[in-house]
Amino acid sequence: MLTYQDRLDAMRRTKIEHTLAKKEQNGYTDLDDFGTVPLPEDYYVEPWYNSENGSFYGLEGMSENFCRVMAAHPAYVDPMEMLCGRWRDMLVNYRGDIHYLPNWIKKNEKLYNFIASGATAQWSKRWDEKRFPYDDLKPLQKKYNIQTGIDGDAHFACDYRIGLELGFGGLLDKIEKYRKINTDKKDFYDAEERCVRAIIDFIDRHIEKIREMIPLEDRPEIKETLLKMLSVCENIRLGAPKTFHEACQWVSFFNCAARVFTRDGAGFQLDTILYPYYENDIKSGELDDERAKFLIANLLLIDPHYYQISGVDAEDRDLTNHLSYLILDAADSINISCNLTVRVHENCDQSFLHRAVEYLFKNKNGWPRFCGDKNLCEGYMRNGVDKQTARERIAVGCNWMCVPGKEFPMNDTVKINVAKVLEVALEEMKNENERSAEYLYSIFEKHLKKAIEVTAAGVNHHLDHVHDVTPELIMNLMFTGSIEKGLDASQCAELFTVGVDGAGLAVVADSFGAISTRIEEEKALSWDQLYEALESDFADERIRLMLNSSPKYCHGNTVSDEWAKRLTKTWTKLVKAQKMPNGRQLVPGWFSWARSIEYGSTVGAMPNGRKAYEPISHGANPNPHFRVDGAVTAQSNGIASVQCGYGNTAPLQIEFDPKITMEQGGVDIVLDFIKAHIASGGTLININILDSERLMEAHKDPTLHPDLVVRVTGFTAYFASLSPKFRQLVVDRFLEGM
Amino acid sequence: MNKENISARVTEIERFSVHDGPGIRTVVFLKGCPLNCAWCHNPECISFEKQTLVYTEKCIGCGKCDQGCYSGARVECGKEMTVDQVMEEVLQDQIYYGEHGGLTISGGEPLAHREFTMALIRACREKNIKVGIETSLYRFDEELLSSLDLIMADMKIFDCDIHRKWVGVGNEEIKNNLCRANELGIPMIVRTPVICGINDNTENVKRTAEFLRELKNVTSYELLPYHPLGVSKAEALGIKQTEFKTPSQSQMEELNKYADISRQT
Repeated sequence: MLTYQDRLDAMRRTKIEHTLAKKEQNGYTDLDDFGTVPLPEDYYVEPWYNSENGSFYGLEGMSENFCRVMAAHPAYVDPMEMLCGRWRDMLVNYRGDIHYLPNWIKKNEKLYNFIASGATAQWSKRWDEKRFPYDDLKPLQKKYNIQTGIDGDAHFACDYRIGLELGFGGLLDKIEKYRKINTDKKDFYDAEERCVRAIIDFIDRHIEKIREMIPLEDRPEIKETLLKMLSVCENIRLGAPKTFHEACQWVSFFNCAARVFTRDGAGFQLDTILYPYYENDIKSGELDDERAKFLIANLLLIDPHYYQISGVDAEDRDLTNHLSYLILDAADSINISCNLTVRVHENCDQSFLHRAVEYLFKNKNGWPRFCGDKNLCEGYMRNGVDKQTARERIAVGCNWMCVPGKEFPMNDTVKINVAKVLEVALEEMKNENERSAEYLYSIFEKHLKKAIEVTAAGVNHHLDHVHDVTPELIMNLMFTGSIEKGLDASQCAELFTVGVDGAGLAVVADSFGAISTRIEEEKALSWDQLYEALESDFADERIRLMLNSSPKYCHGNTVSDEWAKRLTKTWTKLVKAQKMPNGRQLVPGWFSWARSIEYGSTVGAMPNGRKAYEPISHGANPNPHFRVDGAVTAQSNGIASVQCGYGNTAPLQIEFDPKITMEQGGVDIVLDFIKAHIASGGTLININILDSERLMEAHKDPTLHPDLVVRVTGFTAYFASLSPKFRQLVVDRFLEGM
Repeated sequence: MNKENISARVTEIERFSVHDGPGIRTVVFLKGCPLNCAWCHNPECISFEKQTLVYTEKCIGCGKCDQGCYSGARVECGKEMTVDQVMEEVLQDQIYYGEHGGLTISGGEPLAHREFTMALIRACREKNIKVGIETSLYRFDEELLSSLDLIMADMKIFDCDIHRKWVGVGNEEIKNNLCRANELGIPMIVRTPVICGINDNTENVKRTAEFLRELKNVTSYELLPYHPLGVSKAEALGIKQTEFKTPSQSQMEELNKYADISRQT
């Protein structure tokens, strides 16, 4: 008889096979794993285009193509599991141009020709530029290397309580009810209804498949699982989930649909939302802890969404419960790329926090990560939000937070490359009579203001029109007021606190630091020599080394540390001062996501000794060689000092081999470190405790460790799936911490 | 001179150290040591004088050595620092020390910098920072040692003659000082660097453990495998240092069987 552990082992083996097969099918993927499974050979979707530019938009375009892709998705039932359903494809694949298609579409001649036949020279067809052009913004967006957010992913979070309470049948009833009230919104309700019916059809195909499998199964424990799976699916195809098992299955199906639609969606406060189901089932004898753990592990396997656990409520009371522990244990039992975030607060159960760090140590797979509950909550309240709402804001993305069902933050989709802004400022000062760090900073500030203005214009353009381009038909279902008003989440959100991240902090801070030190203080270099060096991309290596060896940001109390703080103050002031219409506001943070290579490719040589087109610094992290000892405490201090303070993050991204085992007290050391960073003002810690030998072996030959997971930025990914340049990025950061 | 402004030559201040005492620690390495161990992994800390480490492989051949080297080819070693300057660095990590961590004064030999070490300990006391020391215990200083939270000392070789051969001095005084330090009532960690061909035998470990078992304040006895870190640094100083073989993991496991100092209660 197969035990839970036997089945988990089998699920892990299948996961490894899928990871390798997906790499074959799609090539390298520098993204989350998403829990997808490989596509069958005969998979085919014929997209329906409703725009002259060869793409599809709006209520009709999105709902029609959602139905087509969902209909093409085969049912996925693995009898080792207790939950079913997986996603493999998403609508965005059919809206890009031919240069950005995944390998599997390129290999599918029929589909490729179909998409290519309607292709234009346009970079992306995700945005309907014909109807909503923004050519007037493009020159400055390019000048300052702005990631505009226009056509960006839907980075917001659903309130799962809405869906779990109603079920898909209840959602259909709700659509019907408000269709009658808002009679002018027929197209909206038609589209929503079609989407919900497509999800129910998807469930029905699973029911059909399970029914086919039951008679063929002769292992009693597996047959029992399939029978249970069948009754769960039958119950939730229309009805609201009533048990823990049903709630997990409902979430799995919803997540598949949300992912297919726009790849997005986000997790939720897993321990709090699922606790009532757990408690009821334990009381009734329907569930025991072992089964609950297995179901959670299964849920995490199906989709490594960003789930949050522990933390405190609006009265600062601990939210940690028994299920919080089971979730950690479940994640340990499956040990895949789990994007679990543990909220850290002084009132939280400290032994839970200890357990979380134990797993970080034990598995060395980049989970969980940690966020600072108090700093995030108090920061977000400074935007004029009450404490209750601010406490509901949870970690659901790489660097970002969102109030589920209430906020439309566009987080992580809008960024300004401040290194590029410095390049513009340097160019402007070049032929001026006055040259000084102060004067350069004033020019930099002027351009930064312009960059923020044009960024705001882009954000507003997106928010004004995205409901006509990419209405969020799936996530609307669990968004407060959307169905009630017949409005898209992008129109009816209570909070439009739009995140704008700066990228390249350390490059700019160290550049000003190097100028202050070598040109102004030591007078070892003249401005002419600096400009000559930058233009020649450091033909004189000695000058490059002179600049690069100046005291860096994160070294501790250096001139560059002071510049980083000043830059943060300026950045925060300018972003917050930017006027926005309709109650919208911008919220500053520091984050580059995994784009440090891409952003660097647009920026020439910098005064910190960085050569032209090399990657810019990662997020709020320091530049390489910021200290001889690479002390993470120094890094932590530096990053704690550059928090913008409005509820968005400047994450501490660390990779290290602590060179100390769990038995030698390593857990307490890392725990002290995490608590101290948060006590110093830190907001988010993306942490990798790695085994250097294993990492180096995998770097040489990724297939040796196909189950090695690393936290690339905020997201975790299978090391074997990353492209060589991203693997190098992780290894370089790791070596810095050695 | 203000006592807290007395200075010493510091070769390095290492932050987030987890192997020089419990918890998260900052380690201050002082320059100068009366011993001269053949395997020393900090050979730049032996001389009391300022020195220059030369790494020729990093030289870019700019020919401007006299105007400052930025490539890392010439590294000046032994910065004169006041207690206040050291404390400025130490305080940056105070928040991380937690219940167990703190400052470790190392070297070189901290007891050879008595005034500075005492002043540094006092400065830490004022800030409620715990202080440990890494010492050879070749000297004994009751006032200084009794003001510490932790003493980390080496018992490199148990046999006195072999000790004299490889360390340059006998170990009678060190053994005696270990016993005297034990009387101070401060927790002690005693360590043996395991050097192949010199002290990597069970007899040496066994006799050391037996000796330490009698010292009730010795909380642990640790065997540290030799690391050839000092060889390249010695070369950069223009000194020839013998590279010993690094003991294998299985050899360390075997020796550790004899390093148990647990006492019957």
